[in-house]
Amino acid sequence: MKQQYLPAGLALAMLAGVLVSAQGPARPANPPDIAGEWRLDNSEDDTTAQPPLGDYTGVPFNAAGLLRSDTTAESIWGTPEFQCRPHSAPHQWRGLGGARILKEQDPLTRDIRAYHFQFMRSLDRPVFMDGRPHPPAWAPHTWTGFSTGEWIGNTLAITTTHLKDGFLKRGGPQTSDLYAMTEFLTRHDDTLTIVTVIDDPIYLDEPYIHSTTYTYDPLASVNHEVCSSSAFAENGGTDRHHVPHFLPGQNTARAEWLKDENWFPPEAALGGVKTIYPEYRTTLNGAARVDALRVPSTRGSVVADKAVAAMSPRDGQVHVLPVQGNVYMLVADGTNIAVSVGPEGLLLVNTGSAQMADKVLTAINQLANATVTPPTTNTCFGANCPVAWGFSSPYINAIISSPAPPKPVRYIVSTSAAPEHVGGNEKIAGAGFFPRTQAFGAAVTSVGRNAAIVAHENVLNRMAAGDRPAPVTAQPTDTYFDAFFKLPAFFNGEAVIVYHAPAAHSDGDSLVYFRRSEVIAAGHLMSTVSYPVIDVAAGGTINGVIAGINQILDLAVSEYRSQGGTWIVPGRGRLMDTADAASYRNMVTIVRDRVRDLKRRGMTLEQVKAARPTADFDGRYGPADAFVEAVYRTLS
Amino acid sequence: MRRVVFLVIALAALVAATAAYAHHSYAATYNVAEQITLEGKLVQFVYRNPHSFVHVQAPDQSGAMQRWAVEWGGTAQLANDGVNRDTLKVGDEVVILGRPSRVTGEYRALMVRLTRPSDGFTWGGRGQVVD
Repeated sequence: MKQQYLPAGLALAMLAGVLVSAQGPARPANPPDIAGEWRLDNSEDDTTAQPPLGDYTGVPFNAAGLLRSDTTAESIWGTPEFQCRPHSAPHQWRGLGGARILKEQDPLTRDIRAYHFQFMRSLDRPVFMDGRPHPPAWAPHTWTGFSTGEWIGNTLAITTTHLKDGFLKRGGPQTSDLYAMTEFLTRHDDTLTIVTVIDDPIYLDEPYIHSTTYTYDPLASVNHEVCSSSAFAENGGTDRHHVPHFLPGQNTARAEWLKDENWFPPEAALGGVKTIYPEYRTTLNGAARVDALRVPSTRGSVVADKAVAAMSPRDGQVHVLPVQGNVYMLVADGTNIAVSVGPEGLLLVNTGSAQMADKVLTAINQLANATVTPPTTNTCFGANCPVAWGFSSPYINAIISSPAPPKPVRYIVSTSAAPEHVGGNEKIAGAGFFPRTQAFGAAVTSVGRNAAIVAHENVLNRMAAGDRPAPVTAQPTDTYFDAFFKLPAFFNGEAVIVYHAPAAHSDGDSLVYFRRSEVIAAGHLMSTVSYPVIDVAAGGTINGVIAGINQILDLAVSEYRSQGGTWIVPGRGRLMDTADAASYRNMVTIVRDRVRDLKRRGMTLEQVKAARPTADFDGRYGPADAFVEAVYRTLS
Repeated sequence: MRRVVFLVIALAALVAATAAYAHHSYAATYNVAEQITLEGKLVQFVYRNPHSFVHVQAPDQSGAMQRWAVEWGGTAQLANDGVNRDTLKVGDEVVILGRPSRVTGEYRALMVRLTRPSDGFTWGGRGQVVD
């Protein structure tokens, strides 16, 4: 059935109306059993194959979506970070190999706590039925997203958020990472119909809908594709950081297939919200002009600006996200702080703004109390319990004694001299403790036993220079000038290595690698809420930013299928993994290449800005003028 | 003499035939209406899923030597065709017919036919198509 020609709003309204009126109560006593083995029914249009490259028929693209898709090369799958990525969620039901649906039940009540979906090329996808909320916006995104479901009559309605960027259809139209997906699963005898609604505020003018049909087949079994990715790029050559893409206008694929299908109106192949309504036909015979055509419109439920802002809220609060191992991410009024918490004390990567210092201190103290010395019940009875110390009975100690306070902040690493990174240095270092002696000399004497502040020496040079230098107690105490700086000993049971990223955001950038926790704090190199900030006056360059991100990608390893593994705490925005970092690197590289191409053609900066080389990313990353200018000025 | 020959051949029928099973789309990745010939020395054979790769040191259009990555079938398909991880050796002189990348400047190709002149080993043709 030609779902793409059905107006999105109309389809949703019809579906909701049927469900509500026909089914009565919201949750039937015995919802239909959807568990089992399901075989993909190939009767729908373009169910498994992809349309010809450049065919966006039926996709309610906006201009950004069209540009993004036209300039995306399928060869991107060859980059090391994407070789094993699963199909994107909108296409997953349409991928070959069948589907398996499992039930996870509460052993006492036998309520269904979750369904689990499995496909040939997927990770396990849970759909939670227990009423849990969706994670905060600063939580990471995955290929399958975070799904919750509820029965509406005999239809299971699934809401999915926290999805990675990908594609609507195999080999074609792209999505951002802000899209939400709603699915309606309805079983009719041995047929399972899945209606999928994709709401992408960045690339679509209204939700995109398609349906897929499965047939119950108890003898079927989901194939499992084992994927082995490689550290080399499959794109040939020797550059593992190669980012394939087409410059605007360079992709000739649409002309190729339209040449063979010359009956097809070329402008309809571009997609767009007007092309999916029946009224569009009047424009094909010249009876109406496209620009004068009025069609109903269904706005999506995701508002881009709000979704982006929610990843890094400027709400005057500190939000804590556990990351991995010792490391936590603090979202502090629009700036991220990475914290290592453990028995040896705390290490902060950046301290946030000066205004937030008190709240950050409160938050890290609460975190340390809760994680290092949490109150626990007795696990040992009698006078000879192991690891007990003291002359009174150990279990009495555990009950009546007050545990020792956690150790204070020992280290701060400043990844740059940006005010939002060093603003809290003075107060937080002052509340910390580093065991120095007077023998270290006057420079150290002046900061007493404050926490050590580690940074590249150019950070110190900037903070100590000028008419209004930062207070001595806010300045780095331990600087480095080399490619990296290792903390001299394990901290909280792991190596912590500070790598220099030359000429990136500035000339003093660092990234911090927690080698056992497998977390990298990226500082100003990464943000999920903006383009990279490049301080040209402070020695920043676009190629330095790209090299710095590639340095992160070289260190990071995904857990499985291009997901999880090493976590990356960006300077701003949600938690990232290697695939997210690769997507960000790709975007930055694509913009760099476009600006370079325009500059080589002799365009002035103003002409380049007017050409809008970031047009397909502006909805996602915001104003681009400063970024484009920095790119232009730092490209030779 | 090692050389690269660029030929333009209309092979539209292959577009649909090669697009069914890959995790990425061959037709979208490679220009299936063109083909190139690579003559060179095999430097790596990566026998794995989802797709195997043959790396060949061969000249590009300008004559500069490049490391080409030629995409081949997954292990199941190649095993069915009698190809295992020992079939090809580093240092083998091979001649490869392939579809070039759609992206200018990429040194990748989709395997159409591989020949090893030293013993006449050939894969491709006779219904053998990367799937």
